[in-house]
Amino acid sequence: MTDWLLIDGARRLFGETCTYEVVQAAEAEGWSPSVWSAVAGAGYESLAEMPLADTLAVLTVAGEHAAPLPLAEAALAGWLVEEPLTGPVSVAPASDLRLEDDGVSGTAARVPWGHAVDRIVAVIEGQAVVVGVASAARIERHANLAGDPRDTLVFDRAEPQDARPAGCDLRERGALTRAALMAGALTAMTRLSVDYASERRQFGRPIAAFQAVQHHLVGIAQETALVHAAIDAAARVPGPFEIAAAKALASRAAMAATRAAHQVHGAMGMTQEYRLHHFSRRLWAWRNEYGDEQHWAVRLGRAVAAGGADRLYPALTGGSAVL
Amino acid sequence: MGWEDTGPCAPLRQQAAIGRGGLSSGGITLAALLFAPTDLTETELLLQGEVRAFLANELPRGTFAPGLGMAAPRDRAFSAKLAQRGWIGMALPTHYGGHDRSAVDRFVVSEELLRWGAPVGHHWVADRQSGPMINRFGTDEQKRRFLPAICRGELSFAIGMSEPDAGSDLAAVRTRATRVDGGWVVNGTKVWTSAAHESDWFVVLCRTGDASEDRHAGLSQLIVDLRSNGLTISPIPFLSGRRDFNEVALEDVFVPDQLVLGEIGGGWGQNTSELAHERGGPERWLSTYLLLEELLRSRSQLFGAERAEVMLGDAVARWWAMRRLSLSVARMIDSGEAPAVQSALVKEMGTRFEQDVLGCVLELIELEPVRDGESMFERLLFEAVLSAPSFTIRGGTNEILRSVASKGLSAL
Repeated sequence: MTDWLLIDGARRLFGETCTYEVVQAAEAEGWSPSVWSAVAGAGYESLAEMPLADTLAVLTVAGEHAAPLPLAEAALAGWLVEEPLTGPVSVAPASDLRLEDDGVSGTAARVPWGHAVDRIVAVIEGQAVVVGVASAARIERHANLAGDPRDTLVFDRAEPQDARPAGCDLRERGALTRAALMAGALTAMTRLSVDYASERRQFGRPIAAFQAVQHHLVGIAQETALVHAAIDAAARVPGPFEIAAAKALASRAAMAATRAAHQVHGAMGMTQEYRLHHFSRRLWAWRNEYGDEQHWAVRLGRAVAAGGADRLYPALTGGSAVL
Repeated sequence: MGWEDTGPCAPLRQQAAIGRGGLSSGGITLAALLFAPTDLTETELLLQGEVRAFLANELPRGTFAPGLGMAAPRDRAFSAKLAQRGWIGMALPTHYGGHDRSAVDRFVVSEELLRWGAPVGHHWVADRQSGPMINRFGTDEQKRRFLPAICRGELSFAIGMSEPDAGSDLAAVRTRATRVDGGWVVNGTKVWTSAAHESDWFVVLCRTGDASEDRHAGLSQLIVDLRSNGLTISPIPFLSGRRDFNEVALEDVFVPDQLVLGEIGGGWGQNTSELAHERGGPERWLSTYLLLEELLRSRSQLFGAERAEVMLGDAVARWWAMRRLSLSVARMIDSGEAPAVQSALVKEMGTRFEQDVLGCVLELIELEPVRDGESMFERLLFEAVLSAPSFTIRGGTNEILRSVASKGLSAL
């Protein structure tokens, strides 16, 4: 059961480094040197080389601690380029970048921690193109709902460091990494909600004693369990069916479970001093990245409908192997 | 940046290094989330294939009237055929006519039968609930008497729990058994007893002693012949007019000592310990599956629209993941665990989902369901609309399940 030990190691690392104060400071400053140095020392660039299940396990734990760094991007970059890239790296989720004889030109928007990384990988006409951030003509700082940097990088005839056929489907793998982060954030949110409901007393008893509150707790745990089950399936077989199911469920849970978790927490959950927002805001942001529940449900529904009625149940049990 | 051997990050580094060596596999679900990830083995997949081939051959689509999950029709001959295959009483000991198979094997077979709409009504309760309960708590004599006949698909059981004043609050049962020479005399009334009029036996939860401070004390289980003297079965017509529910009145019904199940006074514990087996299975998320399959078969043009694709995709994603959680429950039962919280979580969301699927189907089509509709889809839809409210009630209401699950979560 290597994976459980791996999870323990990741738990310890992120648990020790991603404290409340550190995550707050990272939002204010756009980068956390302490988290970066800890993760860099732990083999940041090898995330893409591990078995997929392990990579997703580490991302899940990172999500559980709201780790403020482009960890999913390290995996994505490695999968795209198919060799480790040193130093902090990010990935352009979509761009209008062009690769021409005189270099890379155009705009890459919503690049996670774009201002803080050494280089980014962008997919341009099926090529994974690596370009240094120092060669950007302009960098605009932006942030997502969680306050994590999502920067715009403008290039004007920048010299690419590398260009080769992309080693993976960025949309699918991007969605898979987001779903893994979300599974972790949902886990943290489940735990926070259950603990809070047990401790917070109103009308002379813990609010967890009220059926209306129990209803919310159960709903959060169910959504979370569904996402974990789908991530686990995608870790075994990372096919289009499995990935679509995982991201559709994760994005759906991002709405349903955060709503319930906030309701359990009342006004406390609306404050900055309480940690719930580290997870709820990330879930809202990640819900959209690499396709929301609507996007992935359409893809899944279309594929299943095309398979026809006789293959519907076999698909529900066999996934991509059948469809 | 290399992988150094010391410092605060060493554990991740070391384990990831092992992972890179290819020793790591599959599971990443966190222990905190209760469900151990699992998949079917090669052997279990072979069984799945056998059941599919059997059904395609035995009950080709269009040649029989399928049912909605476990509410499917009763068919003794079909039950006997399943029994010949060894697919009834699968997890019971071979010594008593069973097959020593696992809970997961039983899951695989049930799942295929239910999604096909096969007529499982005759053996369903005996196979899922009464047989395993007798195997767990019964005497050798009881096992020899009941289990082989259950495994042959012959004996049919009903459930004797609910009473007029004891629904969700089951400990409030008033049916009372009084000690007499050689056995017990039972008086009381059971209600909502599905198929009592078509079944042979039912396991009755009754009071044999007074409730002390512990309301759960003094309850016992008796195996009662539904043709006993003093026992009267009257129909309580289902809202659709269908005969399913019954009132079973017991008036001085004699039950010999040999038919006391387990311990006198131990009825509550025995009853609840079996609920894990009853709660987390595929019958809790497949009741409306066939409706969607038939919609796809008969009105495939609907799925050219994005709204329909979203609904189908969303339902498929939820089935996909829910099935894996339900499978995980079966795997836990095989490991000797009692996954009560997990079962409650699965049943609670599975049954709501069954209703959601119906809701989606109704939203997608413009069709008023009528009795004896022309197509199989219309007939299933009619039945589904009328029976859907029961999904989140039967076998423990969702409100009770939420309390069970929530207390379990808080105790973690």
